[in-house]
Amino acid sequence: MTEDRNPLDHAIAAAASGSWEWDIGLDRLWIDERFAELYGLDATQTRTPLPTSTFFLRIHRDDKTRMRIAVAGMLGGSENFSKEFRIQVPDGSIRWMHGRGQTILGVKDEPLRFTGLLVDVTDRKRAEERLRIAQKAGGIGAFEYIDGFAAVTVSEEFCRLLGLLPAPALPVPTINRLVTQGYGPLIPEQIGDEDAELAGEFLVTRSDDAQPRWIARRGEIIREGTAGGYRLVGVIYDISAAKAAERELRELNETLEDRVQSEIDERLGAQAALRQSQKMEAVGQLTGGVAHDFNNVLQVIGGNLQLLAGDVAGNLRAQQRLQTATAAVARGSRLASQLLAFGRRQPLAPKVINLGRLIRGVDDMLRRALGEGVEIETIISGGLWNTLVDVVQVENALLNLAINARDAMDGQGNLTIEVGNAFLDDRYAARHAQVDPGQYVVIAVTDTGCGIPAEIIEQVFEPFFTTKPEGQGTGLGLSMVYGFVKQSGGHVKIYSEFGQGTTVRIYLPRTRELEDVEVDTEAGPITGGTETVLVVEDDEQVRGTVIDLISELGYRVLKAKDVQSALAVLETGISIDLIFTDVVMPGQVRSTELARQARERLPNAAVLFTSGYTENSIVHGGRLDEGVELLSKPYTREALAQKIRQVLRKRGLPASSAARQQAAATEPTGSPLRMRVLLVEDELMIRLSTVDILEKLGHAVSEAANATQALELLNKDTFDVIIADVSLPGMRGDELAARAISLQPQLRVIFATGYGLPPTGAQDALRRAVTLQKPYGEHNIVDALKTATSVQPLQ
Amino acid sequence: MNPEILLDELERDALTEIVNIGVSRAAANLRKMVGQQVLLSVPSIDIVSQTRAARLIGEREVSKLVAVRQDFKGAFSGRALLIFPHEKSLELVRAVTRDELNAAELVEMEHEALTETGNIILNSCLATMANMLRQSLTMTIPVVIRGDSATLFEVWRDAPADAPVLFLYIDFTVRDRNISGYIAMLMNIPSLVAVKELIAAFIERVVGSDD
Repeated sequence: MTEDRNPLDHAIAAAASGSWEWDIGLDRLWIDERFAELYGLDATQTRTPLPTSTFFLRIHRDDKTRMRIAVAGMLGGSENFSKEFRIQVPDGSIRWMHGRGQTILGVKDEPLRFTGLLVDVTDRKRAEERLRIAQKAGGIGAFEYIDGFAAVTVSEEFCRLLGLLPAPALPVPTINRLVTQGYGPLIPEQIGDEDAELAGEFLVTRSDDAQPRWIARRGEIIREGTAGGYRLVGVIYDISAAKAAERELRELNETLEDRVQSEIDERLGAQAALRQSQKMEAVGQLTGGVAHDFNNVLQVIGGNLQLLAGDVAGNLRAQQRLQTATAAVARGSRLASQLLAFGRRQPLAPKVINLGRLIRGVDDMLRRALGEGVEIETIISGGLWNTLVDVVQVENALLNLAINARDAMDGQGNLTIEVGNAFLDDRYAARHAQVDPGQYVVIAVTDTGCGIPAEIIEQVFEPFFTTKPEGQGTGLGLSMVYGFVKQSGGHVKIYSEFGQGTTVRIYLPRTRELEDVEVDTEAGPITGGTETVLVVEDDEQVRGTVIDLISELGYRVLKAKDVQSALAVLETGISIDLIFTDVVMPGQVRSTELARQARERLPNAAVLFTSGYTENSIVHGGRLDEGVELLSKPYTREALAQKIRQVLRKRGLPASSAARQQAAATEPTGSPLRMRVLLVEDELMIRLSTVDILEKLGHAVSEAANATQALELLNKDTFDVIIADVSLPGMRGDELAARAISLQPQLRVIFATGYGLPPTGAQDALRRAVTLQKPYGEHNIVDALKTATSVQPLQ
Repeated sequence: MNPEILLDELERDALTEIVNIGVSRAAANLRKMVGQQVLLSVPSIDIVSQTRAARLIGEREVSKLVAVRQDFKGAFSGRALLIFPHEKSLELVRAVTRDELNAAELVEMEHEALTETGNIILNSCLATMANMLRQSLTMTIPVVIRGDSATLFEVWRDAPADAPVLFLYIDFTVRDRNISGYIAMLMNIPSLVAVKELIAAFIERVVGSDD
């Protein structure tokens, strides 16, 4: 750092180093033999004054300018010269030199001579280079401190480790003040007489980012003879990672027993949860099975009671008994449906819904059910996710939970309903049987009631388990909630503190679909007509279905399998009121071309497009082209009927068909159609009573006791509707229905069942099938037929 | 930072040499005042932001600082600061008065002695620089200021926020006195550009002369 200008240095160094003297006044240079040797000059030149340019003769090209500047400084009055530079000797090898010099000033402080020593430091440079690389690569910072000085010589890496700006020397306090109090100074100010090594670990706060780091110091105390004088030579390195690992290991060791115990507890818990869930599963299957058979029995009883009503007409006592019996059938049927709910066999009609809205909606109902003594608070988180769930069943579940809460609170207390988003992680899922990790919407119902004792909390979801007095409650409320939530792919959890209250949390899986919006666009009676419709459709099955449907509505139907044949039909000059065509058609000519030609030839004909998707030739910029009518697939029978009428109305009434239109308008509309029904039911009693009801309703019924018979009939005749029991001997009802649809695509499907729909395995084609819940009566059948003919889209 | 004012390695060497000549003159003058040998480090030089300059000193000096400040005007203009730790200030005064004063007199003399010492050091430094660069400068009367490193670099209100500082890290040590300090020069960008050009001309002169 400071220049060493002890005159003795000259003599000491002389043996090993070359020396020079630059006479500034005479502009001459004297060199000694060693200098000449280092510079690769002739030794004879040491005895004569040389031109001063000799000084730069061997200096490496890249260092020459720098050295000229440095020398210019010396000649201009600078006192210190300490430079490292490369020289290139005649044999081509390159050596590093350290030139150290000073100017000798005259009486007026004017520079007279510039003298100095030249030392070969090539080995040192190489060693420094290796050291620097080693230090940087190893993250090791070096320091040297000489007793009695205020500053410490440090390496760049040393500064970096402490977050200091790089400097060759640092004041001792600068370094030591970074060390946290209590860890002693990094650079010791006192050294014991016996000490020989520097070891220690220090918690420091880095200067730049104020981060705490652990720094280790290793080194030696070098005593060099002088009384009490010493040098500290050492290194520092960062051991924060090792320290952290060490602490972690220590903590892990300290808590080992606790962790083993909690792991064991967790496993035991998971096993218990699994056992409980298996038990619930078994009970569920059992109750489901019982309910199914029970429903079949009720169906027979109920059906025959209805038929009997005709026989005992006029007999008041008999009619009264009949009524009592019918009411009992209804009660039995309710019980069976509750059992089915627990057994996860109830027919669900899930839709995408935001539960927040739903729960705000049932607030009123709950208030009425709970009475004035119970305060209800509803908390709905913002940004609530959607879930796919049967709305009616959510309402039922809420009502069940609310009534349990009311009873637990004896009619006085607070009920809190919270709805929010929740994420069940892998850990949670592992601890609970039959829970998939993922995102859920959670409904939590909390009461301030008496709570449930811990020893029975596991049993509360079991059917017929109740703590309520005899006659109050069936013991099926929570079972239904359990079954419904499980069937919906969710999870239910109950927490209770005896004497404090109970919380039931229902987790329903999140869906990313948009909420279903209920719209009654297609309400209103189905209206037909007598105009002529040309159906252009390449798919044979679709074409057949559409033709049946349009014919059934009273229209005259012509058909074409592609645009080419449609154009051929137009050529014949036959009168056509409406062309109903698919947008995407095979062949050279596009459907839009058909529309254009049709407008030329038959200006009175309307064109109605249909398509399974809307990105194509008739939609531009997200909008239908002007004057284009489109009916998106899939569509219902009503939608088709309405759209056809709407398009025909828009077209204006041509003279030729005005009269027919008149006639059609005066015809009574909306009357139920006579349908051809195929009834498949293995229970003879049920089959007979159902046939009676269907015939009474004016439908043509064919009956089959099993799938084989049904398929025979399907191969012979055409049907509008198939009513099939789900659990048939041999082939199941849903399989039969799938086969039936492939034979007769226009067929609508109604499943009669003592269970709900089979929860999985139903094919796409059956997704919109209607369920007719056993036991059913006449009005159930009417409803099912109505729903089936309105909601099932064409294939 | 504006690349126009950043010095390349050669320019930095040249400026270092020029400043070296300046501090040598300053040391020679100081030597005459204290009658003791004054040792100077070979200065290291860089252009840094004011904040970084404040940190460079702040990191090294824990205590409060004293500075002698002088403004200069000419081909390049700016402000020069001679900075040393507060507790060394009386020590410096004691040195330049050759231990002839008692404690009370020392305190009384402190301000004047500091001003004079600062004037000698900064003047030699700047005059030499101007001379080597073949320019002339005028200097204002020195002022003593006290504060932490941030305060010292904040005082230059005319400068844009975080203006560049030509920072000379010079340790000057008076033998047996344990005194050390720093010199900083604050210049605005036009002045730094001017200095850079003058340095380039200096290099041209020096390197061109001997070939």
